[in-house]
Amino acid sequence: MWSKIKDIPFNKARIIAASIVAVVGIVLTLLAFFNVNGLPNEVATISGNTKPTVLLQKTTDEFEHNDEKYRQYLDIKVLTGTHAGKTFQVTNDYLASQLNTEDYKVGQRVLVSFDGAKPGLVSPKRDWVLVLALTIMCVILVMVVGKKSFLIMISMILNMVLFYFFVVFDVAENSTKVVPIYSLAVLVLSLLSLALVQGIHKKMWLTWFATIIGVFTSFLICWGVMQLTHESGIRYEAVDFATQNPKTLFLAQALIGVLGAVMDEATDIISSLSELIEHQPTISLKQLWQSGRTIGQEIMGPLINVLVLIFMAEALPMTILLIRDLNTINYTFEFALSIGILQSLISAIGIVLTVPIATGFSLLLRKGKVVESGVVK
Amino acid sequence: MSTLGALLLLLLILITIVGGKTGLKSYLSIVLNFALIILVAVLIGIGTNILLVGVIFVPLKLLTIIYLGTHDNRVAKISFLIAMAISAGLFVLILILEYFAQAGGFGDQSGEELVGLSLNIGINYQDLGILVAVFSTLGAIAEAAVAMSAGMLELLVQKSDISLASLKRSGTKIGEDILGTALNTILFGMFGSFLPLFIWFIRLHYSIGRVVNDKLFVSAALIMVYSIVGVLLTIPAVIYAVGRKQKLANEERNN
Repeated sequence: MWSKIKDIPFNKARIIAASIVAVVGIVLTLLAFFNVNGLPNEVATISGNTKPTVLLQKTTDEFEHNDEKYRQYLDIKVLTGTHAGKTFQVTNDYLASQLNTEDYKVGQRVLVSFDGAKPGLVSPKRDWVLVLALTIMCVILVMVVGKKSFLIMISMILNMVLFYFFVVFDVAENSTKVVPIYSLAVLVLSLLSLALVQGIHKKMWLTWFATIIGVFTSFLICWGVMQLTHESGIRYEAVDFATQNPKTLFLAQALIGVLGAVMDEATDIISSLSELIEHQPTISLKQLWQSGRTIGQEIMGPLINVLVLIFMAEALPMTILLIRDLNTINYTFEFALSIGILQSLISAIGIVLTVPIATGFSLLLRKGKVVESGVVK
Repeated sequence: MSTLGALLLLLLILITIVGGKTGLKSYLSIVLNFALIILVAVLIGIGTNILLVGVIFVPLKLLTIIYLGTHDNRVAKISFLIAMAISAGLFVLILILEYFAQAGGFGDQSGEELVGLSLNIGINYQDLGILVAVFSTLGAIAEAAVAMSAGMLELLVQKSDISLASLKRSGTKIGEDILGTALNTILFGMFGSFLPLFIWFIRLHYSIGRVVNDKLFVSAALIMVYSIVGVLLTIPAVIYAVGRKQKLANEERNN
């Protein structure tokens, strides 16, 4: 067993670094759990049950769906604000389905708001769970990629910060220049992540060009198709939480959503081919093109499905609610699923077009190699 | 012709030109995936047990993505086994974190969409939240497994006598390159998917404290973490599996 574990590329330095990250992360998680500052509401802890939870009613809707409504009687100890230190009794009604209500547990931290002197439960305090999740992620990241994890974290954080500023920019412009703003975001964010993760060299520039050309070509083609078909069947009002023109919002979502995948794919193809060139410098252009297509074909389908699952799984709760409530598949499909499917298709087209584009750019990589070795000889 | 139909047709044409027979299989896997998601929704909608749906559909989805997504059976076999193992492990993590986060179901932002709908529908939305999280990660895990094993096995094809150490080094290198950007697929996929929510936060001036406790934000961020963890775990798993394969092959050759 031990010899097997040793086969996995974890070394001692990584284990030490990961342990340090774990300790720091756990401390931060605890700090987040006990933190009461900077929150929109007062913080309380559920100290006990005043009385046992009672079943208020068994409900049955028009489609014979049974649900149960419960009432919890809870003691909460308020930790912040003018009522700090006091204990209150509150009730909490929830449905067994917990669709937009929660079943609270003793010991849990909660956010409460006061209506005069009467507290009401707002939501569970979730921030510490996020810190815990990030800790687990960072520990595994350090174990798997070692030193490089630092760069990867920086790249992700920078991407998030920059993305945040682009969204602020978009809101500040009152969403009048959505497509130009997010196109600029595509250019900047992709260049930044590729440069950070790979370093600035020829391979990176080729990957960047392939990415940009892949994203914008597919975007233009899909936009053209939408114009030609007069956008028939697109229910823009089904875009979630749209606080602005849902059409441009949808286009921006498509642009940003596919960018990462196209970048991923261009990197996979170009980096695998450059490995190949390194191991076999005499490989012919035709062989290289064939290998590129083979790698592209292998990853194209799975990559498209990454986005299909992200876009579609998110729609499941609403889809199921509509199926349950309305009992019609057509309406449900149009309102809960069609936007996700459209987004998946636009992304898929981008991913497919990137295979020849990225392979084409890799050919340039080999040409450089031959010239270099010629000079050495 | 509807836009959706036109895009489906365009994708079919492009994927056939670029990918040939493999492309057609990929296309089938995408369409099947749409169909599976709809089937999942319908099954849960008519009251099928959520755990049961998960147990049946997780392997089914991985099979569809992996076996139809690649034409190389060796790649598919290694990728499927590893993806199953990683998904099972990840399920435990998801179960624990979702228990504490209580982030399933709808957030405050959905108020308007829920008007007029009956909410006492008798389906546990916390359980559904777990299923949504598991499904969201499947694509990323499968993709990482396939990209890793395709890259490594292609190397074996080009240079079959490669030493174990050299194979591992190349594997680690491929893994790092794939990871650096696999994260981008997930990150930007989530950015795209949740862009309207982010705009909502900024437009309504949510404070950071409010955002990090918001149900939808936490649920989205957790899904991102699960997916990244899944991809991370896949990398050493594939290096180990392919390395073992090569070791056995080398031993056989020496004997």
